[in-house]
Amino acid sequence: MFEIITPLFISLIVGGTLIGIIFGAIPGMTATMAVAVCLPLTYSLGLDNGLALLLGLYVGGISGGLVPAILLGIPGTPSSITTTFDGYPMAQRGEGEKALRIGIVSSLVGGLISLLVLDLFAPTLADFAIKFSYVEKFLIIFFALTVMAALSSDMLLGIFSGVLGIFVSLIGTYDISRGGNGELRLVPPGTEYWLESGFSLLPVLIGLFGLAAILEQAEIGVPKGHSASEVKVGKHTRFSFGVFKGESFNLLRSSLIGTFVGILPGVGGSAASIISYTNAKTFSKRPENFGKGEPAGIIASESGNNGLTGGALVPLLSLGIPGDSTTALLIGAFTLQGIQVGPLFIGNNPGTWDAMIIAMLIANIAMFAMMYFAIRYFALVVTIPKHILFPVILMMCVIGAYTINYGIMFDVWTLLIFGVLGWLFTKLRLEVAPFIIGFILGPSAEIYFIKSLESFGDVTIFFTKSWIAVILWVLIIGSVAGAVLMAKKNRQVAEEPV
Amino acid sequence: MGDLTRVTIDFDTSHLIFPTLIAILLGLLGLAIVIRDRARIAAAGGTWCRTWSAMDKPRFLGALALTLLYFSLMVPVGDIWPNTGMGFLLCSIPYLLATGLLFMHERGIRQVLPLLIVALVGPTFVWWLFTYPLFLTLP
Repeated sequence: MFEIITPLFISLIVGGTLIGIIFGAIPGMTATMAVAVCLPLTYSLGLDNGLALLLGLYVGGISGGLVPAILLGIPGTPSSITTTFDGYPMAQRGEGEKALRIGIVSSLVGGLISLLVLDLFAPTLADFAIKFSYVEKFLIIFFALTVMAALSSDMLLGIFSGVLGIFVSLIGTYDISRGGNGELRLVPPGTEYWLESGFSLLPVLIGLFGLAAILEQAEIGVPKGHSASEVKVGKHTRFSFGVFKGESFNLLRSSLIGTFVGILPGVGGSAASIISYTNAKTFSKRPENFGKGEPAGIIASESGNNGLTGGALVPLLSLGIPGDSTTALLIGAFTLQGIQVGPLFIGNNPGTWDAMIIAMLIANIAMFAMMYFAIRYFALVVTIPKHILFPVILMMCVIGAYTINYGIMFDVWTLLIFGVLGWLFTKLRLEVAPFIIGFILGPSAEIYFIKSLESFGDVTIFFTKSWIAVILWVLIIGSVAGAVLMAKKNRQVAEEPV
Repeated sequence: MGDLTRVTIDFDTSHLIFPTLIAILLGLLGLAIVIRDRARIAAAGGTWCRTWSAMDKPRFLGALALTLLYFSLMVPVGDIWPNTGMGFLLCSIPYLLATGLLFMHERGIRQVLPLLIVALVGPTFVWWLFTYPLFLTLP
């Protein structure tokens, strides 16, 4: 197990974590973007080393978001939105360093608890999922899509985005290697040469998460960077671990909430931190202090969003369903190495599974060590000018898209098409996460659906195949009904006179 | 009842079944959105006008135009020196510089000089990395 821990392996994790923190700390740049941009570098690294780099980027990217959230009141990543509520007021009263360190320790705990859950839960779930037939596999994907859509800010638009993702994924040939008949469909005349294999996953991902984010920034004029004088770390109040006294339950609960939210497909870190924060406030003895610089708020938010990191890998590695947009990108790393993730992955690739667990552990420790002891320097990351960073990222996006299929220029155009589409999605209030998960799962959903009907010749098989199918239908109906009831309740609250 | 639920899949046309179902579902969902959000859709013209007026047009459209130009020129330039990656290198340097200048707010020598260095060193390093250690041919 320990033979995989080479100097290169460790360097890639530490380097990835460092770059991830930098990406996370710059508002407008996210962990997903960091993974998207660095994905092509894994091509020549091999799977274990490539994953080491990407997992470092993931953990660093999620953690780095707390820096601008606390120092500037601007979440570096969407998942650190609730960190601003109490972190920024603390920074304003000269407790920036203390708030940052509370966030860093909480991030470490959240990351480690979720890693433990991943290590214990993913192999068990995978062992269970191996027994699934095409019917259950199709229903699992259907369930994933309904959960994801149900938890979208607008359920109807969320479902539409997911189904649109499936539709786009079906463009091209019905893959013979997966049991299809090799015929083209949904390909406009004259584009058969380029679209024979459909749109490649990675240029689509890089476009939606790299180029689209920069276009959004360009649309608002690429806000000027912050000057060093604006970044006040403050050292009036020193940090001590005593601040966690009485908060261990908050820390554990928030980490587990983050992990659970991560397991739900496509929900994302912002939901993890918001649910953790709301719970911490509800169960706090001092709820009135939340939003005014209460350390418990930072603890809940940061342990919640880092809890997501391990949780989001559970469905990916046991079922082949990504838990969030960043883990969807990790599928790209597996695809590059010709490995398919799913129930058989852990059993067939024990070395890679061990490497991932070790990489996540080292990434969390590296994140803590770097951020805890050098937080004053990381605080200055927010001052890096975007007019230098963005062109470099654009160039890296092009490199990524071009090299992913050994040099196909159409992939670069795909990057542009989906970059513009990603920008348009935000204007049309469509959601990128359900779209991308639909895009990834669409081809599998088709195969499982058609093969189920070919094998059994009756549509009732989806309801009667096994008790697992029945349970999945109960969960599907429950998730939709829950979302409808929640939307109705929210509408009633909004309509009530103040 | 049994006959109603029975399905026979013709292998030759099996590639059309799922896309057709998904297209119907997409159409129904689209229709549901149009019915539910009809007021908002009717007022969409105003929303797009506001988006357009609030947009930093030079930066947004400039970034798009430069990116289009960059992608369009890379292959023709690369074809002059085939399999050397020169198309990428020679197009990336001006692209980085131009987008950097476009995104910049104050264009003094102190701001331009670091950008110029990055625009020269960045693509050159990436070109070297992919051409030599990684053996991946760029356009």
